[in-house]
Amino acid sequence: MNAKAVRDIREQALSEANAATTAAALEAVRIRYLGRKGLLQDIMKGLKDVPPAERADVGREANALKKSLESLLRERKGALERAPAVGAAAGFDPTLPGVWRAPGVAHPVSRVIEDCVRIFARLGFTVAEGPDIETRYHNFEALNTPPHHPSLDALDTFWLASGECLRTQTSPVQIRVMESRKPPVRIVTPGRCYRRDTTDATHSANFHQIEGLYVDCAPVSLADLKSLLAYFAREMMGPSTDVRFRPHFFPFTEPSVECDFTCHVCGGKGCRVCKFSGWIEIAGAGMVDPRVFRQVGYDPETVSGYAWGMGVERIAMVKYGIADIRMLYENDLRFLTQFA
Amino acid sequence: MKLVLSWLNEYVDCELSGEELAEKLTFSGTEVEAIRTVGGAFPGLIVGEIVAAEPLPNSERLRLCRVSDGHETLPVVCGADNATAGAKIAFAPPGSTLPNGTAIGETTLAGTVSRGMICAEDELALSDDHSGVLILPPDARPGAPLAEILGEPETVLDLEVTWNRPDCLSVIGMAREVAALLGRPLRRPAVTLTENDPAASELVRVDVEDTELCPRYVARVLTGLRPGPAPFWMRRRLSLSGVRAISAIVDVTNYVLLECGQPLHAFDAARLAERRIVVRRARPNERMLTLDEAERALTPDMLVIADAEQAVAVAGVMGGAGSEIGPDTRETVLESAWFDPASVRSTSARLGLNTEASRRFERGIDPAGTEWASRRAAALLAEHAGGMIARGAVDVFPGGLPARSICCRFERVRSVTGMDIADDAVARLLGSLELPVTERTAVACVVTAPSFRPDLEEEADLIEEVARLHGLDKVPTVTPSSRVTSDASDHPFQALSFCRQTLVGLGLTEIMNYSFLAPALPELFGCAVADTVALPNPVSADQSLMRHSLIPQMAETLARNLARQNGRAALFEIGRVFRPGAKDSVGEETRLAIGLMGAVGQVGLRGKTLPTDADMFLAMKGLTEALAGACHVGAIEWKAESPPFLAPGAGLGMYANGKRLGGLGLLRRELRAEWRMRGPVAVAEFATEPLLEHVFRLPELNPLPIYPAVERDMAVVADEATTHGQIEEIIRRHAPDTLVGIELFDIFRSAELGSGKKSLAYAMTYRSSAKTLTDEEVNLCHETIRNALRETLGVGFRE
Repeated sequence: MNAKAVRDIREQALSEANAATTAAALEAVRIRYLGRKGLLQDIMKGLKDVPPAERADVGREANALKKSLESLLRERKGALERAPAVGAAAGFDPTLPGVWRAPGVAHPVSRVIEDCVRIFARLGFTVAEGPDIETRYHNFEALNTPPHHPSLDALDTFWLASGECLRTQTSPVQIRVMESRKPPVRIVTPGRCYRRDTTDATHSANFHQIEGLYVDCAPVSLADLKSLLAYFAREMMGPSTDVRFRPHFFPFTEPSVECDFTCHVCGGKGCRVCKFSGWIEIAGAGMVDPRVFRQVGYDPETVSGYAWGMGVERIAMVKYGIADIRMLYENDLRFLTQFA
Repeated sequence: MKLVLSWLNEYVDCELSGEELAEKLTFSGTEVEAIRTVGGAFPGLIVGEIVAAEPLPNSERLRLCRVSDGHETLPVVCGADNATAGAKIAFAPPGSTLPNGTAIGETTLAGTVSRGMICAEDELALSDDHSGVLILPPDARPGAPLAEILGEPETVLDLEVTWNRPDCLSVIGMAREVAALLGRPLRRPAVTLTENDPAASELVRVDVEDTELCPRYVARVLTGLRPGPAPFWMRRRLSLSGVRAISAIVDVTNYVLLECGQPLHAFDAARLAERRIVVRRARPNERMLTLDEAERALTPDMLVIADAEQAVAVAGVMGGAGSEIGPDTRETVLESAWFDPASVRSTSARLGLNTEASRRFERGIDPAGTEWASRRAAALLAEHAGGMIARGAVDVFPGGLPARSICCRFERVRSVTGMDIADDAVARLLGSLELPVTERTAVACVVTAPSFRPDLEEEADLIEEVARLHGLDKVPTVTPSSRVTSDASDHPFQALSFCRQTLVGLGLTEIMNYSFLAPALPELFGCAVADTVALPNPVSADQSLMRHSLIPQMAETLARNLARQNGRAALFEIGRVFRPGAKDSVGEETRLAIGLMGAVGQVGLRGKTLPTDADMFLAMKGLTEALAGACHVGAIEWKAESPPFLAPGAGLGMYANGKRLGGLGLLRRELRAEWRMRGPVAVAEFATEPLLEHVFRLPELNPLPIYPAVERDMAVVADEATTHGQIEEIIRRHAPDTLVGIELFDIFRSAELGSGKKSLAYAMTYRSSAKTLTDEEVNLCHETIRNALRETLGVGFRE
């Protein structure tokens, strides 16, 4: 027995293993070479008869035989087991369409609401909700709306026979929450609102708003508000979104601002979507008017806070590039399923 | 509001371009909606003079004008009333081109050759006025380029003035803003009056009967007025501001209104009975013909201006035709008043009359400016309409001016805005808006709120003024920080969110319908009108009811999709519905509706054929069971229901813990026919509150079974009339505790079984928690159940 003979045995063993096409044939190869009475055992037993000078070489070759055959057998066995046993079966066609039911799709308005709620939740805001049918007090008076403000008109608001109205904004929820809780208050208020708008591409008689309110006993500033909206803008519209404030007027905040986001279509360079301004108007916001605090029994000298509000449909239209608000209420599956 | 830049420059030096000014205004609170340039070089267009104008024999309206271009006289046919002999006009000679590209040549009108065209303002793109031709100043030289007379193109900004800033609805008001923004002085026009005897009070008597609705009334009288147009520059400014020129007297009142925001009205004094002005409420059933020739029915809550006999104007809204200024007017009573905003608002809304005057009164004008506006208008009338001003004015102002002092703490400004604004800057910015600082300490300053700023009531209002002038771009962003609140719970929202995600996972797509619907729809679904909420002021008849259920619109949505070739739909909607309550109250409730149409629900290849009624029904039943399971409602109980919109026998109500959660069923065939839906349609509706009550319940863990289960199949051969429900009930009644599962796994019918028979195969699982069951024990139980079924239902068994 010399090293060359052992190498020859190895070659033979490997070619037999490669030729085996069934698990049984593989096993036969294993037993012939690596079995208790196999050829490897014979070599090992004969080692003592090998001249000492060659013994190490023969031993090394025997070891290589064992290692390489074991490894090949493992590999071949795996390959045989993986093979599609049913592959040969008649009628099996792996190219047929899969049969598990696909999930449906949430409405884009719901999706925007849930995205907003999730983002503000990270900053400690929880959802508060209120009724669609509101009192004149909660929807207007407590929010410091002047008694002859046009929004109170039957032209703009749906009044019911009871003297209540369909809420024109989700802001009355802020009043309801402040009436029932002590500061600090941190809420977001998604919900459906109603205005007597004639339906067109950008107006709908019912629509959704999501508002937020933060009131605390520690001083809260416009800078805090801007920071919050800047965070929201990045999370909602992308990391390079910036915000800017423009002064505006709302009865329930003072100072009041309108908040623009960088146009996500052009990145602020100016395009048709943003009317070449680089900015898109998204939110109305401001510091809670002290007159509102007094209405709910908070002392404006010791508490301060901010509030903001956004149109959900508007965000959906801006974010997903929907040209006509009516698409959101037509419920055409060819449209809705694109939000999957 | 339209702001003419050259006019603005009269009161404040502003060399900014339209774009630059628009940017400054936008970031100080006045949004600029558009910037327009009006006018131009008008190449080829010249001044013409109408030397003669005679009617055309074969036309009622057209006239033949002889127009001199400085060299020759051309025949021009023109239909405008004001194209009269002697007028200087804008002339487009043959071969010239109008701003809109129209080429002017020679044409024949009413059988007469016409060479060139006399232009109206709209044809020159100066405004949309086409009521007459543009009349140029009398000293314009025929043949001179038109651009020489019209001057440089004008820049006009369209402003959106916020509701709280009535003072900005005037050129001077905007000049005050611009002056504050640029740190420049505001120049008010100086008014000098030359008055003559007799006193105004001798020429008119003013009685204000309702000082609440009319806190101030200033009347001035002018005599010896002559008819004619206002000067050209004034007419240009009116036109650029979107106001049509009429006559010098009317134009001056409009000019002063635009200039300072105080609406004025000029009455023909000769047409006021007894030369009296009575400010009173309208009498019951009083009627009046307004300037727009419409007869108005007045009610006693409306304030009117009357003479000794009748109403001559709706206060603050519109004048009456009876006392209107006309070509014969020689004497006028000039009204400058302050009317109650709410009263003007409601009157203008009730009459459907929204005028430049009412828009300003309803937001609140400057009570101190009333007298100034009266003097300003009188001076302009004397100058441009040749009037003599009677001495003094009748000024009824019993209340006087309210004075408001407001304290502004410097530190408060900084803490609210988050901006580092120095004390001096606060005082300076307030001063720049003509809010005089009357007192200043180390920590605060006190300002007097001027009467033209009714919006300034307290410190917060001043902080806003400082913030917007200082610049909101300077508000820094910081890391958001705040205390966490712990008393808030948003379980209802989160439960709905869970429900939505579950349904999406089950393969359903969410829809959203309007809260309003047409009355025909609930009626179609068998809902009495009395059970729905009608809107007193709907936008349209097809949106006049509040929805009482989500199902009608769900069916409509399925139908709409079918019509659009989306024949397979599994939809849901979560929304609120409304029901009339006691008295006029309205109840609302959140509901979940589901709608299925076409081959939905099955896993596997879906047939092209429509599903059977049974398939569709069971798909909906399985779906709602899956949802109820996910929502942990507990054991479900089904009860037959037959609401009018469901097919008879194909309706079920779902109950858990004795509470009704909702119902489901197949839509009635007649309803489907409405929308030509051939296949079965399943609908379901749940009240979300009971459905989602236990969504966040903690799971109760049971130990895993120790002993193995034994399975036995049982094939029951029964009449078709026997239901699975009956079989299951008997099994459960006779089953030992060890029966832990019953599963129907096959139903089949065959010739061998015979017609009217079916075989239902059940897999029954037995297991004990105490030991391994032996075959004998299980067989005994199984046999007991078989006997019970045989005896009670008369069924057989297949082995």
